[in-house]
Amino acid sequence: MSKKLKRSILFWLFLSPIVVVILFPYAVMAISSLKSATEVLNPTWWPDELHWQNFPEMWRTSGIAPALVNSLYVSGLSTALTILVSIPAAYALSRYQFAGRNAFRQFLLVSQMLSPIVLVIGLFRLVAGAGMIDSLNVLVVIYTAFNIAFCVWMLQSYFSTIPRDLEEAAWMEGASRTRTLFTVFLPLAVPAMVVTAIFTFINAWNEFVIALTMLRTEDSYTLPIRVFSLVAGRYTVDWHYVMAAAFVASVPVAILFAWLQRYLVRGLSIGAVK
Amino acid sequence: MQRASVPYFLILPSFLLAAAIILWPLKEIVSLSLHDVNRFGMLKDFIGLEHFRSLFANADFLAATWRTLFWTAAVVIGTLIVSVPIALILNEDFYGRGIARILIMLPWAISLTMTAIVWRWALNGESGMLNSALRDLGIINSNIQWLAEASTAFPMQILIGILVSVPFTVTIFLGGLSSVPEDLYEAAATEGAGRWDQFRLITLPLLKPFINIAFVLNTIYVFNSFPIIWATTQGGPANSTDILVTYLYKTAFRMGRLGEAAAVSLIMFAILIVFTIIYVRLAMREEKQ
Repeated sequence: MSKKLKRSILFWLFLSPIVVVILFPYAVMAISSLKSATEVLNPTWWPDELHWQNFPEMWRTSGIAPALVNSLYVSGLSTALTILVSIPAAYALSRYQFAGRNAFRQFLLVSQMLSPIVLVIGLFRLVAGAGMIDSLNVLVVIYTAFNIAFCVWMLQSYFSTIPRDLEEAAWMEGASRTRTLFTVFLPLAVPAMVVTAIFTFINAWNEFVIALTMLRTEDSYTLPIRVFSLVAGRYTVDWHYVMAAAFVASVPVAILFAWLQRYLVRGLSIGAVK
Repeated sequence: MQRASVPYFLILPSFLLAAAIILWPLKEIVSLSLHDVNRFGMLKDFIGLEHFRSLFANADFLAATWRTLFWTAAVVIGTLIVSVPIALILNEDFYGRGIARILIMLPWAISLTMTAIVWRWALNGESGMLNSALRDLGIINSNIQWLAEASTAFPMQILIGILVSVPFTVTIFLGGLSSVPEDLYEAAATEGAGRWDQFRLITLPLLKPFINIAFVLNTIYVFNSFPIIWATTQGGPANSTDILVTYLYKTAFRMGRLGEAAAVSLIMFAILIVFTIIYVRLAMREEKQ
């Protein structure tokens, strides 16, 4: 047996307990989503018959389609907005020396420490006072604000690794600062922008407590709130539909994530080191 | 445009947005916590620290505070202990490493709310698949009502907390490990250092700043973590699994005691500030190196 094969078997044996525990709930989710209404109450590992019709039925009855649209709207827009305001700030931090630079960095660190839950009462009063409860755009603004710190920080670390020579060479040849920025600098920074965008998108897609507080009517629910509302405060829960809904809400992001995770590892390691 | 004003112009949008969403609510919370407030949020008399006094006389609040500290310590330390060996393995070259990485990272991609709801179903007494799995393995003989009392619910919540914190922590460690130069190990191996010595003398010291960062960031995230407990037990039965965040939410939005809830926010904020100071210190020290 080759050395690498032996090592692989040993490592997989070592990892298997944690992999089993990690996968367990998602296996429960997948299996339960395919059981019939009566069989879902039996904790069997394999359903007698696969109830694929759970998915179309759940789709019709649970109101998950509008929630999916709402989640896409909120996550997409807040990701775009976060990147848009973070890039100039990160560029300023990595390319300029100015009074208040450190104060701004510390402000960002502190704002990262303040989670939405600690501020939820104040945010609720702010939003209620403006008469904007139930507005998805309010969620967009709040998610953007809470993601700025992380994004600026990540982007700035990455920007600092881009050599200045390239820009200086462009200036020498007579390109303006703005032009250099768009033709030389930003194209080089695309990987970092992608990583931070994914991170922001996933954060917004999964956010729970602010959405739970601000969204009052079913039409405006995002996915986590929609699925939670299928479970919370009900006498009878249609668990097979709940699991099907959770499955639909999770799989797209999980696939996106699986595809992009190595960029995330690389990006985060740069951000953490520099 | 004056050149000196350019950086300020660049940071302005992000600063204004973050400040408005963070500083304004903070001001509101401070004012709520010092006033008598009715359930519709109308400020009445200024009562100073009365809300804080009544909180510290409240057994439920004190229990939730201690439980929060225990919860945070258990999840964070558990996460670090599990994550170091996983990161060391995932940093090696072996068959299926790509798949192993994706599997370990999976909980990060799936909403905490979904994971917690699925666990709530898996932990169900009669129909839950955890009981049936444990029975099949011969570990238990009769069904356990996991979420019916704190003595079984809270440990499970801690377990869920650890599982969902591992991906982020492993990612940070992998970043750290990738910065360890390979020739250090080769040099150590020619000096006759075994694998354990290599780990103890090279890997661990180089990983230390990353362990520090993971420790502080996880502490903040776990301290503020709401969905796991809210979606499984809502802090029940009888407030026995409440941590400060769920206590805060119930006080504000179920009982409508906004003044008291604001005081809970500020107490949490004070605890977080201590963590933040530690964090800033660590971050600055990293930078100097």
